[in-house]
Amino acid sequence: MALRTTGLKRILAAATVALLAACGSGGSGGTSSDGTVTLEFAQWWGAELPAGDFDKIISDFTAQNPTIKVKLLSAPYASTKQQLVTGAASKTLPDVVGLDGAWVSDFAKQGAIADLSKLMTEAGYNPGELASQVQIGGKTYMIPVVNFVYPLFVNKDLLAKAGVKDVPATRTQFLDAAKKISAAGGDVKGWALPLDTAVPNGVQNDVMSWLWASGGSMLQDGKPNLTSAPVKSTVEYVKSLNDAGVIAPGSLTMKEQDKVEKFTTGQVGMVIDSLAHINLIKKNNPKLDFTVAALPAEDGFTGKRGIPYASWGIGVSNSTEHKAEAFKLVQYLMSKATNAQLSTIANGFPGNKTAEPDFSKSDPLFKAAFDIYQQGYPANEFVGLPKSEDLMRSFDEQLQLVLTGKATVDDALAKSQESWASVIE
Amino acid sequence: MTTVKTRRTLAKAGVLTGLVLGGLFAGLPVLWMLSTSFKSNGEVFRNPPKLITESFSLDAYREILGNGAQLRFFLNSYIVAGAVTVLTLLVAVLAGYAFSRFNFPLQRTINAVIVSVQAVPPITLVIPYFGLVVALGLYNTYPGLILTHMVFTLPYAIIMTTAYLNTLPRELDESVKVDGGNSWTALWRILVPISVPGLIAVGVYTFMISWNEYLFALTLTRTDDMRTVPIGIQLLMGQHSYEWNQMMAMSILGSVPVLVLFLLFQRRFIGGLTAGAVKA
Amino acid sequence: MTSLMASKTAAPVEQPPPPRRTMARRLVPYGYLSPTIVLIVVLMVIPIVMVISYSFRDNVIVQENSVFAGLANYTKVLTDPDFLAALQNTAVFISVSTVAHLLLGLAFAMMLNTQLLSGVTKAVFRIVYILPWLFTIAVIAVIWRLLLDPAGVVNYVLHTLGLIQEGVNWLGDPGKALWVVTFINIWSGYPFFMISLLAGLQGIPADLYEAAAVDGANPLRRFLHVTLPQLRPVILSMAVLDLIWTSQQFALIWMTTGGGPLNTTEMLSTYTYKQAFSEYEFATASAAAVIVLLLTMILAFFYVRQQRER
Repeated sequence: MALRTTGLKRILAAATVALLAACGSGGSGGTSSDGTVTLEFAQWWGAELPAGDFDKIISDFTAQNPTIKVKLLSAPYASTKQQLVTGAASKTLPDVVGLDGAWVSDFAKQGAIADLSKLMTEAGYNPGELASQVQIGGKTYMIPVVNFVYPLFVNKDLLAKAGVKDVPATRTQFLDAAKKISAAGGDVKGWALPLDTAVPNGVQNDVMSWLWASGGSMLQDGKPNLTSAPVKSTVEYVKSLNDAGVIAPGSLTMKEQDKVEKFTTGQVGMVIDSLAHINLIKKNNPKLDFTVAALPAEDGFTGKRGIPYASWGIGVSNSTEHKAEAFKLVQYLMSKATNAQLSTIANGFPGNKTAEPDFSKSDPLFKAAFDIYQQGYPANEFVGLPKSEDLMRSFDEQLQLVLTGKATVDDALAKSQESWASVIE
Repeated sequence: MTTVKTRRTLAKAGVLTGLVLGGLFAGLPVLWMLSTSFKSNGEVFRNPPKLITESFSLDAYREILGNGAQLRFFLNSYIVAGAVTVLTLLVAVLAGYAFSRFNFPLQRTINAVIVSVQAVPPITLVIPYFGLVVALGLYNTYPGLILTHMVFTLPYAIIMTTAYLNTLPRELDESVKVDGGNSWTALWRILVPISVPGLIAVGVYTFMISWNEYLFALTLTRTDDMRTVPIGIQLLMGQHSYEWNQMMAMSILGSVPVLVLFLLFQRRFIGGLTAGAVKA
Repeated sequence: MTSLMASKTAAPVEQPPPPRRTMARRLVPYGYLSPTIVLIVVLMVIPIVMVISYSFRDNVIVQENSVFAGLANYTKVLTDPDFLAALQNTAVFISVSTVAHLLLGLAFAMMLNTQLLSGVTKAVFRIVYILPWLFTIAVIAVIWRLLLDPAGVVNYVLHTLGLIQEGVNWLGDPGKALWVVTFINIWSGYPFFMISLLAGLQGIPADLYEAAAVDGANPLRRFLHVTLPQLRPVILSMAVLDLIWTSQQFALIWMTTGGGPLNTTEMLSTYTYKQAFSEYEFATASAAAVIVLLLTMILAFFYVRQQRER
């Protein structure tokens, strides 16, 4: 027993040593004695790019700006927003932050991110090259660096097997193709609709996209307009797809990643998906023969088609002491050459409209998608809206009621309109 | 005599069947995890599913073990979980002793408070807690994480040590006091050695809670040199897709230390130490 | 170690005068509790007090100017149908989980404690049975999602065995989701009970069983009259803990169903998370948290009371 106590004491001593030795490790951004500024840049981009590529882009920045060092911080994508809110609350947000357009309104309201318009003026920067800026109240808070569009992906083998000659271009053709693919047998379905409420992006990418593809809008003068005819026809169309049994099972809890997997393994014939997945799909299933196309519009619609998109956006922390240096990094990433390079390796479209991504080494599908992009217009009305995730979720919940037959389309839209109106003032 | 023997064989068969069925229930998902770690990402969702696929490879393991950042995650998890286990056991034994052997004012209140503090949903606690940790200068440090995990595991540990100590009769304490010892010696000379199986159970579980904890580990660390294994696993869940094989490989690798701990100490679970000893 | 028998039969000794350290004596238990108290007060009580204060204010955290709001947040939460649904789902979730954990844990512990099989067999099965414990909850959620996918392994096996005709929508069906999620939680949590009970079983002296056997008790009666009473403190403690912990379970729900479909798996934890990080209503989230705390304190109170009756 005495021995046991000694053993315990030894362990305790070791633990204390470990504790003391580890005290105070982990640094943070700041200015060191020789005047070098270290910026912390929190993003999830590096993990999505080929190994080492993003580091190289950043080290080129340091080469051009010897007094500024950049420390890349990464966090799991699913927890990014929550970590940013937490960091903002105690003013420990990293100097430069990667943002999603859907978060901007709330972070700006929280006072977490800085007014970039002001920084642009101070730096004498001309925002003319920027394809878009996300503004709240006339001030820019986020600049989209790379845009990922969501065209329609079509499995050509399944289409051919179903006896459909052309890629559908109207809603009627799409419904028809989906029916034929589902009827061809083997547990295959025509379409996948991810309506997971934890991350309700499906409302943006897979539902509202139909609305935007026919030039429709869910807002009017900035206020929600969900009971309008175009929105109603969109929801009714999705319901018709569901009633026809062409949607892959598990829709109500399906996540975006599942949708991609099912398309890759040939279980679903057509999905609306991010261009960024092209290389992923090819890597996981090299034998898959697929193509991209514009999202089908309402029959007879001849106008420009909106194409949904998500961006890698960038913002500057409002509590950083190095705003000028932080903006230099932003400028660098938006510069013509760097932006083009970043877009090419990310398989996205540049946020700098003068930058030309290099399609020579990439998949011909990218060029096809770029053409579609330029023929239409980028459409994502959720960007810049307050509590956009909450808006998507309340709409999602009503849509689920419609799809399970527990509510009519009119009721669902009326309820959603009510929820949205209380959020968007 | 034959009936007794047959009954015994039947009983043995019954228990064995039960064990096997239970084993399938417990083990199949883990088997699938293992199988996924050997697949290529494209094969994970294949229909119909297969246990062993054509592109069976150890690549995922090679990538994890060859990645300096990931290895650092393992090291951090070891340090934090190990320190938490030792310190929590120590503090919990002391507290459990107080609750089990003494009567003092506010005893019930303090006990209730300790049990209740773990009732607050961690997600609401995160922001004020984070502010506190930053104010104390413990952000992105080992002690910050260790103390945090201790606070989470202490209520459980105290409840369990109290329970285990309660099963030991007071005569044991008296026997030491008659010999001239005080409460301290009674605790460490008699009670703790007898409670060893229970304490090991508490220790193993404490290690596991700390090892697998995600939310506060993520919030209280900033840089890769401080992060732990659960964060490493979630980092593999990207915006667009998951690195399934690496995720599973890392989970399997992450389960090894706990398994080893269990193997090392499980002999103490087996009877002999307490059965019949000292008790009248 | 002195023999108890010897001390009992020794002649009564004159009592020495009581030590004059009565004050110090009274402080001894507090001394044992001091590290715990310091840690918990500093690191837990302070943030909890802050959460409670948030629940009485508005415009918290995400805005600079918070104002006193009285009981407004509590009214908002208690009249929110989503909260009431979450309360109901959580109640079902935790009670079914805890009971199943107990039964399964006890059954497995007893099987693993049997005298009928060799030590090696038992050791092997012990390892198999603690496997669910070894993995972080995010991975458990993700792997079960994979297994339960309509085109996944579980459906495949059931289909091959002829038990189902077509793929069952386990997690996406409003009628099934809650039970499926409960099942996954049962799978991931029973080892806790099993190990604690196994340790408890070791502590039951063999002579108690022998005495009962001599009295003519069969295995069932021995179980009911020896095993269960001996394990009672351990079982009660674990039940309380499990109920509390299961009510906090967030990641499992979030990563499998996110509270859906149609709010059938919405728990207090997911409700609070959505309030905090989706609606940015930290005051409401704090109010919900305080309500959960109060409900749990009732449980804690019963636990503490039964501790006294020893």
